[in-house]
Amino acid sequence: MSGAPPQGLARTASGAGLWPSVSRRRRAGNWVFWALCLVALALVITPTLWMVAGIIGRAASHFKFSVLWTSTNNLTGGLRQPILGTVVITFAAIIIGGVISILTGLYLSEFSRHRGERSILRGGYEVLAGIPSIVLGYVGYVALVVDLHWGFGLLPAALVMTVLVIPYVTKATETSLAQVPTGYREGAEALGMSTSYTLRKIVLKAAVPGIVTGALVAIAIAIGETAPLIYTASFSDLAPSLHLTHQALPYLTYLVYFFSSLVQPVNSANILANDAALVLLVLVLVLIIIGRLIAARARRHAES
Amino acid sequence: MSTAADPASSPEASAERTASIAPTVTAAAQQPYDDSAVALSAVDLTLSFGQHTILSNITADIRRGAVTALIGPTGSGKTTLLRTFNRMNDKVSGYRHDGDVLIDGRSIWHPGLELTSLRRRVGMLFQRPNPFPMSILDNVVAGVRAHKMAGKPAMKSIAEQHLTEVGLWAAVKDRLKDSPFRLSGGQQQLLCLARALAIQPDVLLLDEPTSSLDPNATESIEALVRTLVPDITVVIVTHNLAQAVRIADRTIFLNKGRLVEHGPTKQLFENPAEEETANYVGGRFG
Ligand SMILES: Nc1ncnc2c1ncn2[C@@H]1O[C@H](COP(=O)(O)OP(=O)(O)OP(=O)(O)O)[C@@H](O)[C@H]1O
Ligand SMILES: [Mg+2]
Repeated sequence: MSGAPPQGLARTASGAGLWPSVSRRRRAGNWVFWALCLVALALVITPTLWMVAGIIGRAASHFKFSVLWTSTNNLTGGLRQPILGTVVITFAAIIIGGVISILTGLYLSEFSRHRGERSILRGGYEVLAGIPSIVLGYVGYVALVVDLHWGFGLLPAALVMTVLVIPYVTKATETSLAQVPTGYREGAEALGMSTSYTLRKIVLKAAVPGIVTGALVAIAIAIGETAPLIYTASFSDLAPSLHLTHQALPYLTYLVYFFSSLVQPVNSANILANDAALVLLVLVLVLIIIGRLIAARARRHAES
Repeated sequence: MSTAADPASSPEASAERTASIAPTVTAAAQQPYDDSAVALSAVDLTLSFGQHTILSNITADIRRGAVTALIGPTGSGKTTLLRTFNRMNDKVSGYRHDGDVLIDGRSIWHPGLELTSLRRRVGMLFQRPNPFPMSILDNVVAGVRAHKMAGKPAMKSIAEQHLTEVGLWAAVKDRLKDSPFRLSGGQQQLLCLARALAIQPDVLLLDEPTSSLDPNATESIEALVRTLVPDITVVIVTHNLAQAVRIADRTIFLNKGRLVEHGPTKQLFENPAEEETANYVGGRFG
């Protein structure tokens, strides 16, 4: 997109308009650029829509709201226990992981005084983000299920998911704290606010949208995980309970694969697999919407 | 860290010492440790960031209830001196100081003086308006709230009082719950001023508060500054010499980290004692 060729300028100089007319080459360049943008957009949106349509289409013909609260019974029934399993495991993971991550992020961005220390910590969670979830699951299996004799259960599953969630939330916390304008901190300092008050009432508040967004991405990813749970929660028909160990429990992603027609010839199971996919999709969508609402509310007084 | 003699131990002695200096010394220096006349004083203050000495041997008394302008070329240390007055430099890496700054005769670094209470007494307004990301109303009372200076029911009237004081009430009274970032730059700066005034400081430090504003907004800030004295002592950094002449009772000229001259504004501009001062103010003004 180089400058206008001379004839464009010459035309203006000879007098028609006040503004130099846009050269043909630049117009063509603009057009190509927009076309490429549209293609890229289509490349992102089409598969998404296609997938969503596929999931809805498969489930729609037989979907009944009663599957949400009907119990699973072997290969038939509803999705009550797997829904509870997914929700409880994810919730536990984001609570434990969220607290750890926010504290880590706070420490990294506000309290750590040594560059070396920061880069070690940061390297730590970045490596964590790069470990395939199935490996985390296997480590969880060896360490928690076998070595600690916990057996399959909610606790090992939630802990492995916690580890999975930590990098996302820590990164989000650290970057959104770092992006809080120094003007806020200086203004607070000049008003005689203490460090902890400034952090709580000014800095963290400004960082909330970023942290929430990161946490939601983490939740959405955790909801969709299968491999680590197969290693740590196994599968059963039992709803999650206060038995944190030695009680395998079900979750939606398990059904999506193991009840599908790829694995199970039984029709009632295939129906459950389709329903489970739909419920997962809706859960993720609802989470994204909630996150947007929280972020928008937190940002209502933000700059720009 | 501070090496200055504790002035509280011998106020008369210091007064005599200064009084014996030749009469060319500025008016403020003739009555230095009269607590009622001096709000803040720098005593042989030397300050460095790492290897760089930014301020050297600054001694100046900031007269209570007056507007003092800090002028000087870029990089002369005006901002650094101003930020030292409420210890905003303390956390800069490599920061070191010698000498002292006294508020009411006591060192601002005295362990018995809490940093938060120092900052409550010595407020600051920055070059760029920096409202907090909260509603206009919450902005005005942010400090009041932090220091629990009033209960919840009083907040609205406190906000009204200080917004009125800075002349912003009429413009914002219907949008107190709005974001401050939709206000104009000048209005944002007035809001920050209201926020600083709401915690009732004794001293207000202004760092080029009008440099990002248009002439009208500048004029309203200047007019306001004049109404703050003599209840509040004002120290204002400005590059605008005409502004210094308009609003300052006294002026300090800094150059390369040294205090060159300090005196009544009129005298410093019309009849400077130092050639350096004459070159600076003469070169650009009058
Ligand atoms: N945080 C810092 N670390 C190191 N050096 C600094 C720091 N802040 C300021 N300085 C240096 O101190 C000197 C004085 O800076 P200062 O900001 O006080 O100047 P100023 O008189 O306010 O200039 P201006 O009129 O441009 O605002 C400059 O040379 C600057 O580079
Ligand atoms: Mg400056």
